[in-house]
Amino acid sequence: MSGAGNREQVFPTRMTLTTMKIKLKGAQQGHSLLKRKSEALTKRFREITQRIDESKRKMGRVMQTAAFSLAEVQYAVGGNVAYQIQESVQNARFKIKAKQENVSGVYLPTFDSEINEDINDFKLTGLGRGGQQVQKAKMVYTRAVETLVELASLQTAFIILDEVIKVTNRRVNAIEHVIIPRTENTISYINSELDELDREEFYRLKKVQEKKQINAEAEEAEKAEKAAKSAKPSEKEADSEESPEEATSEEQSQPVDTTKQLDDEEIAKEVEQLEVGETQDLLQEKEDDVIF
Amino acid sequence: MSSTDAMSKRSLLAAIADEDSITGLLLAGVGQVSGEDGKETNFLTVSPDKTTVEEIEAAFDKFTSEREDIAILLINQHLADLIRFKVDNFTNAFPAILEIPSKDHPYDPEKDSILKKVRRLFGE
Amino acid sequence: MEGLLFNVNNGYVEGVVRGYRNGLLVSNQYLNLTQCDNLEDLKLQLSSTDYGNFLSQHNGPLSTSIIRDNLSKKLYQEFQYLKKQSSGKLSKFLDFITYGYMIDNVALMITGTIHERDRSEILEKCHPLGWFDTLPTLSIATDIESLYSTVLIDTPLAPFFKDCLSAEDLDDLNIEIIRNKLFKNYLESFIEFIEKEFGQPDKEIMLNLLNFESDKRVINIALNSINNSELTSDIKLSLFPQSGKLYPLYHNQLSNIDDPEQLKTIVSSIYEYKELFNESQDNSGSSRNLEDWFYLLEMKYCKNAFTQQFTLSTIWAWLRSKEQEIRNITWIAECIAQNQKNRIDNYIAVY
Repeated sequence: MSGAGNREQVFPTRMTLTTMKIKLKGAQQGHSLLKRKSEALTKRFREITQRIDESKRKMGRVMQTAAFSLAEVQYAVGGNVAYQIQESVQNARFKIKAKQENVSGVYLPTFDSEINEDINDFKLTGLGRGGQQVQKAKMVYTRAVETLVELASLQTAFIILDEVIKVTNRRVNAIEHVIIPRTENTISYINSELDELDREEFYRLKKVQEKKQINAEAEEAEKAEKAAKSAKPSEKEADSEESPEEATSEEQSQPVDTTKQLDDEEIAKEVEQLEVGETQDLLQEKEDDVIF
Repeated sequence: MSSTDAMSKRSLLAAIADEDSITGLLLAGVGQVSGEDGKETNFLTVSPDKTTVEEIEAAFDKFTSEREDIAILLINQHLADLIRFKVDNFTNAFPAILEIPSKDHPYDPEKDSILKKVRRLFGE
Repeated sequence: MEGLLFNVNNGYVEGVVRGYRNGLLVSNQYLNLTQCDNLEDLKLQLSSTDYGNFLSQHNGPLSTSIIRDNLSKKLYQEFQYLKKQSSGKLSKFLDFITYGYMIDNVALMITGTIHERDRSEILEKCHPLGWFDTLPTLSIATDIESLYSTVLIDTPLAPFFKDCLSAEDLDDLNIEIIRNKLFKNYLESFIEFIEKEFGQPDKEIMLNLLNFESDKRVINIALNSINNSELTSDIKLSLFPQSGKLYPLYHNQLSNIDDPEQLKTIVSSIYEYKELFNESQDNSGSSRNLEDWFYLLEMKYCKNAFTQQFTLSTIWAWLRSKEQEIRNITWIAECIAQNQKNRIDNYIAVY
């Protein structure tokens, strides 16, 4: 009975025992489910982390190529086009479409690039010089940004998964280290209390039986004495005086006795049964313990 | 987690970067200029000597907290370094913050907030 | 006669320019530059050239843009020096050269004004060679109407705006179209100026160069506007400078093409441009090399320009060569910085 203090405040009754057992079973089931979920998520998480790592590195290269294409533009145009480009911007051609994807019950957002080919703010940029390079740089950068968007999806998934996994793991741990031990403690507490009660009951019954035996013996001895006395007439009066009393007591005790006797037998049986049952129960309990 | 509704509203990319990176990103077509209040541009051009850290911070806050139409924020890594504490402390999934290399500052995976987290998680 | 009196006014300037020309990097030096492993090495290599210690004031890490800016600064200084030494016809010629840059600056300012940008920010981005006194006032105008009627009129570019653009045009035309229209007017009046003022052999060389410039623009516009429904053939025609080897025979055709193949066929009928597309097909990036090819052709013309004595066209040739040189160095620096060594030989060296 480790951590006897760590249990729920319940009355040790058989009904609570059943409830607790159901609760324990539920907790175990939940635990294994959550554990599985967390494992699935972690698997996915590791995949994503690996891909993030890769694509972050890839991004370095992609962006470098893109930056280089801009250098080509600058070489071709011969001046600084940056300002011109910044001023020509009107509407976003490159937009993001956010979608949700369900992974083991977790909604992960994914970003999709959406390019509106109708919008082109740079149609005329570099018209007189370097327009080809501008268009080429546009293509290269569009591809680069697509890569970035992909990476952003991964990253968002990473953050959300990270959070969800943390929560799941917290739950798993809570169930594993708090709820289950606690329920188990409660169950064993109830069991021990019940055992105690049983033992008390058993002892009480034994005591009752003992007392009855003594009583019966005493009665027999009395009867024998009476029989002996009835032979003496001098005592008849006293006897007759007593007789109604006795008769009533006899009358009273007779049915009681029979019931008691019956009871005794039954109780003895019950006790036996109980004893057997209890040990069986306890055995079962122990088996359960091993399973946990 | 944001609901689908709030997500579908987020359709723009934002950028805080140096002139070259901004130019490239704008070429790709991420730029959106509108007359709406507080939504004039979705990019901040940072020039080495003129733009202050406070301005970068303000833009970062604006893109991450105030505007609700931004799905991804691109920020140059060397600029993210300037406001590293902010970037590190920003844990929301939206908008996604992506550190990108700039022309003059090659990408250093060691500094990336996300990659740092990755490494921490795997205890490296 | 021309040669006899040339030196009276322009001898010094020509001498200086020829000195500058000798400072242009030669292929050997380029080869050394391409061997550099990092930008510090590049800086070291450049310090042994005409650029000297152009980066001496700069501390901290190098970047390609810093290198480019400092290289350009040197060019601007040299050009400003020439301009200060010039007089008469020569200074007018130099003015004409700067108009080209002014157009870019004005376009920049107009864009800035439309988008209500900070004025100092835009002024910083203006090309130093295209600087003129009234440039900052451009941003004072708050709306297009006043920009046109009060400010643009006072700029040196006013003649190019005249007759071709009205205030309404400025408002709803794309800035690129305005820019190209201005450039067309500029090229045409530049050619007119050369025709009128310059004698042989100066005239021939300059016209050749300017005609090439015109053709380059025509081909570029035609190529870049393919599949662009906004530009009708009429607009395109109005953007084509009316000069060059393609004028007037092919302009109409060029304004109507709708795929690059047609362009190739038309352009190939000019002997000089025959190889323009042939060359580009050999290499993988088909259109990438068109620009290269233009640059290469231009550099060849420029190199030839130096073979004549007593010419002002050397200044133009030198300026162009120098610009190309800066582009080359920037390119090499970019390749080094971004570790793209396989493309490093893409520079154009003719000297």
